Amino acid sequence: MTTTVPAGSLRPTTTTRTTVDIPPVGAVEITVADRDRSQPFLLLHGGGGVATMAGFADLLAERTHSRVLLPTHPGFGTTPRPDALHAVADLARAYVALLDRLGLADVTVIGNSFGGWLAAEIALLGSPRVSGAVLIDAVGIQVDGHPMADVGAMTRAELAAHSWHDPTRAPAPPPGAAGPGPDLQALAAYSGPSMSDPTLLDRLRELHLPVHVIWGESDRIVDTAHARAYAGALPLARLTILPRTGHLPQLETPEELLGALLDD
Amino acid sequence: MTTPLTVTRIGHSCHLVGFGATRVLTDPWFTTTATYYPGEPVASTVAALGHVDAVVVSHDHYDHCDLDALVDGGFDLGTPLLGPGTVTPIAAAKGFRDVRTIEAWQSEDVGDLTVTATPGRHGVHEVTFVIQAGGRTVFFGGDSLRIPEQDEIPRRFGAIDLALLPTNGLCIRPMNLQQVVMNAEQAAELAAVLRPALAIPHHYAFTSGRLGDRLITKSDRDPRHFAEAAARLAPGVAVRLVTPGTAVRLP
Repeated sequence: MTTTVPAGSLRPTTTTRTTVDIPPVGAVEITVADRDRSQPFLLLHGGGGVATMAGFADLLAERTHSRVLLPTHPGFGTTPRPDALHAVADLARAYVALLDRLGLADVTVIGNSFGGWLAAEIALLGSPRVSGAVLIDAVGIQVDGHPMADVGAMTRAELAAHSWHDPTRAPAPPPGAAGPGPDLQALAAYSGPSMSDPTLLDRLRELHLPVHVIWGESDRIVDTAHARAYAGALPLARLTILPRTGHLPQLETPEELLGALLDD
Repeated sequence: MTTPLTVTRIGHSCHLVGFGATRVLTDPWFTTTATYYPGEPVASTVAALGHVDAVVVSHDHYDHCDLDALVDGGFDLGTPLLGPGTVTPIAAAKGFRDVRTIEAWQSEDVGDLTVTATPGRHGVHEVTFVIQAGGRTVFFGGDSLRIPEQDEIPRRFGAIDLALLPTNGLCIRPMNLQQVVMNAEQAAELAAVLRPALAIPHHYAFTSGRLGDRLITKSDRDPRHFAEAAARLAPGVAVRLVTPGTAVRLP
């Protein structure tokens, strides 16, 4: 499904009157017509929370001179999550509504892990504001013979060993952390016990948006068979495998990830 | 006295060409989608076009054949619409009541106008057009490739007043970067063959969005490349780079 809208209607020119104060002159009213054709990014974090994406958001914004939006998924990081909000597709609709509210277009949606699954669901909604998606070590699909690692049963050390090519580079966990925190509860609420949707891969076969699938070669949470399955299903996909990289490229090899994103 | 000839680019390959009071709309495109952006202002809505005597459509790609926008914008569906056989059934299905199928070297008269389809080639079936009225002749290149069959055009039509030429050399990445549109150099070569009094480039600002430009399309977005190539290859041809909405009156 392709949605067409009148040219220029997604981001109409907005004219505002702003008053500034410059002593000793005083108040000066300025009328400004604002045209915005920038190409923003919507950056979606995974189950590790917004902290796993904040550094890369800085890097992406600085290096591309772009607007980068990094939401905290409702329920993560002590933010509220309505009880009725527990489907990935509903969270996806919330983010498209956010893009409508902000009046953005030509948005590239980038997500890691759970955020990658969410990016795929956003792409499937057919919003004319979303021009492409980047799935980075995304969960969400089921691949025969390549089950996703059971992250819920892992100790932190085991989780790091599965998530990093070189676990010695993983940041030290905060002291005293034990048991599932609120982020894991929110993740479980959205993604369910299987952390996948058996219908997702088939739905992606009809998607006519460009999708860049980027994967850490050493990812042991969802291995590269998942990358190939995503890229194989998507009609307009590019697949990039990052060497010496695990499940969290934006933390382990951020420059290599940025380079892959920006390659022509 | 010669008939006044004017052209106003609406955006991309969509122009309003005026032969005196007779107005022809080319390759209509008035909307955007998630992966098709004009990359330049679109100078008119459908409703603001005013009276149009004929529509010519070179092929059935969305950014040249945005008939839904014409229908939604209240365009007069009794207006004659001319195009190849891949376009006219679509137009008829959308409610256009006077559709005329023309393939290369076939002509149709619409009032004072004579529209002749001329050879084109693209990723899908495409024709170009020679549009004539009141002793004035305009070549419209759609987003065709440069092909040798186009060399026949000046032999059949003589002096050409205006050539509207695509220049972005569009390549499709998933098709091994297959080229589907003439590039600036090839457009200049065609200008040297057609020898119009004036050549105006079009079909260069369009983008597929940030990721689409990396994964789907590759194109040259700088119209100066055509001006530079035409100065070398077609030195007798005047070139004007025209932003949408600028009315150009030919001498």
